[in-house]
Amino acid sequence: MSRPEVPAVIFIGQPNGGKSTLFNSIAGPKAETSNFPGTSIKHTHSRVNIEGRLLDVIDLPGTYSLCTTDPAEQIVLSHLFAERPDLVVNVVDASTLSRGLELTLELVELGYPMVVALNMMDVAERKGVQIDTAAVERLLGVPVVATIAAHGRGVKELLDRAFAALEKGQNARARRFSDDVEEQVAEVEKSLPAGFPIVSNPRFTAVKLIETAGHACGDFLGEVAPGLKAAVDRVRRTIEERRGAPAYEVISAERHHQAMKLAEETSRVLHGQRLTWDKRVDAVLMHPVLGYVILAAVFLAFFFIIFKVGSPLESLLLGPFNKLKAVLAVRLGDGLVFYLAEGLIQGVGGGVAIVLPYFLPLLFLMAALEDLGYLARAGFLLDAFMHRIGLHGKSVSPFILGFGCNVPAIVATRILESHRDRILTSVLIPFIPCSARTTIILALVAFYLGPLWAMGFYAANILIVAVIGWIISLFLKEPSPGLILEIPSLKAPRIVSILRKTWMQVYAFVKFAWPILIGGSLVLSLLSYFRADRWINDVLAPLVVKGLGLPHELGVTLVFGFLRKELSLIMMLQALGVDYQNLMTVISREQLVVFTVFISFFIPCLSTCAILWKEIGRKWALVSTGLSITVALALSWLVRLVL
Amino acid sequence: MTLLDAPHNTPLRIVDLAGGESVRRRLMAMGFHKDDLVELDGQAILRGPVLVRSCRSDTTVALGRGVAQKVLVEPVHEPS
Repeated sequence: MSRPEVPAVIFIGQPNGGKSTLFNSIAGPKAETSNFPGTSIKHTHSRVNIEGRLLDVIDLPGTYSLCTTDPAEQIVLSHLFAERPDLVVNVVDASTLSRGLELTLELVELGYPMVVALNMMDVAERKGVQIDTAAVERLLGVPVVATIAAHGRGVKELLDRAFAALEKGQNARARRFSDDVEEQVAEVEKSLPAGFPIVSNPRFTAVKLIETAGHACGDFLGEVAPGLKAAVDRVRRTIEERRGAPAYEVISAERHHQAMKLAEETSRVLHGQRLTWDKRVDAVLMHPVLGYVILAAVFLAFFFIIFKVGSPLESLLLGPFNKLKAVLAVRLGDGLVFYLAEGLIQGVGGGVAIVLPYFLPLLFLMAALEDLGYLARAGFLLDAFMHRIGLHGKSVSPFILGFGCNVPAIVATRILESHRDRILTSVLIPFIPCSARTTIILALVAFYLGPLWAMGFYAANILIVAVIGWIISLFLKEPSPGLILEIPSLKAPRIVSILRKTWMQVYAFVKFAWPILIGGSLVLSLLSYFRADRWINDVLAPLVVKGLGLPHELGVTLVFGFLRKELSLIMMLQALGVDYQNLMTVISREQLVVFTVFISFFIPCLSTCAILWKEIGRKWALVSTGLSITVALALSWLVRLVL
Repeated sequence: MTLLDAPHNTPLRIVDLAGGESVRRRLMAMGFHKDDLVELDGQAILRGPVLVRSCRSDTTVALGRGVAQKVLVEPVHEPS
């Protein structure tokens, strides 16, 4: 059966199974990739042309099961259940076959036409595991192809089998659970009222109704189909009474045992051929002492590279913008048009000068560390420290990202499965000095007071983040669910995959943050055109001059700096009417420190507020803003008293 | 005993997964069930998490101490 429209093919698999690598080797070079940051962490739709046939291929984020409570993984469910794909490509990590098959069995229950890619066969072989692909195919009842996506092996065959499966449109048939469970599933199946939204087939729908947390559609189910809700409750109770374990556990265990049996029947472990080098490297990387030494070295190198690459690039990039501004100043005179043009140029320039020099290398290195498997190990090593501030190891990677830019860091908190952890991490991220603020710290503190001061400033900043985290976590009653984090086997990162990840993040950032940067910049230009800055400075004088002991002119820079944080330094110099070299003639060292402290902790930028609002809601965005105002005022005032 | 008190580098059988539903669900989704064989591979400093390897599927998971103490295990004496 051939369909007139373009068939939709979904790629699904457990995390770290090489799914994206396989997806890339199929869709990569030919795809028009677009990213939807609002809907998932990474969720890519691509239309590809393979040997004259068009396909819509969709790469879903990794998921361990189809019965998840993890917000990032739930995207997978909504996609899979709402939009019926024409074909499912299930990517299974052959080196951890038994666990991977659990998801496969669930997909077989779902019953859409599917093809299984047994990926990373080379890793399995190195581990001494031999898998009989034909036997897996026979037992599962769906086409199974051995692949090594990283080397492009088996991809051709996979595509051939995929096209064949699309032609036939055949559905896989689910394996049966134990009779007593199957009986109960049938019970729910019978109770499905006419017109109930069936996902794929009644049996799958019934199984999911039984095993999903709470009720699949919440209280809604009770209102729409009270009979069904009662049946589901009854069945859950019956299973629990018979098996002495909750229904969800019983069904999960059924699949677990099916998968183990399947893996046992189709693979054999050759005598003790363990991945010894891998184990040895890991023993060092996660060593209680050496591990931390390496971690510190990795991150020092990380920041060193970013700023070594970043700062020359930044001046290179800002040059043309400044020239353009000078030219416009001559052409346009001193009117409103010039002010608007200046705001526009500075907004765009700020965006370019932040994104390209600092953010790009950071994202690139992050993607490399992630693909290597090091981020998970860093999470393991730092978990104990994160516990001190009421979080756990999974928050480590959003925090690291925050040193580059807070905006994607807050988006990255979606990997945290608990709402509480997400909120706390998101509220803390704005206190992490992003590259814009680091530039200011370097330019003011490191340059005028010396590198030791800058390092001390940084260390104090991290300490303050910890203290704020500790205080907020006292108010959050719900405890953190704790760390459950897979440590994937180490892999050599592949440049294509790193570049693709980097590109997707940059694209999402540019799309979201640039309009805000430019808008903020325009507002500031208008303020100065209408001479409103003087009024604002006068109004703020009690706070700025009396409270913080700073020059009167810095009021606008301090308070409206968040509209254009990356340009705070330039704004400061403009406000004071000096150039960088002569800064110390108009302000003192103490004032310099107070200024830097305030700028570092005050509302990070408009984009960060906007993304907080979008990601964790208005209430927490306001809490975060209030908190940063309080912290900035309190700290800079304290610093003034101490110095 | 819990995973926190269990000996390292020796096979352990999971006797029970205690704790709340969401933790149990996550553990099960990641392939840890009652009666499975696991091994402790390492531990971080300062009361940090433990590394647990599932013997069957050869996957390694880091479990925070709070989670680890909800996994009850018993040592298995391998038939030699």
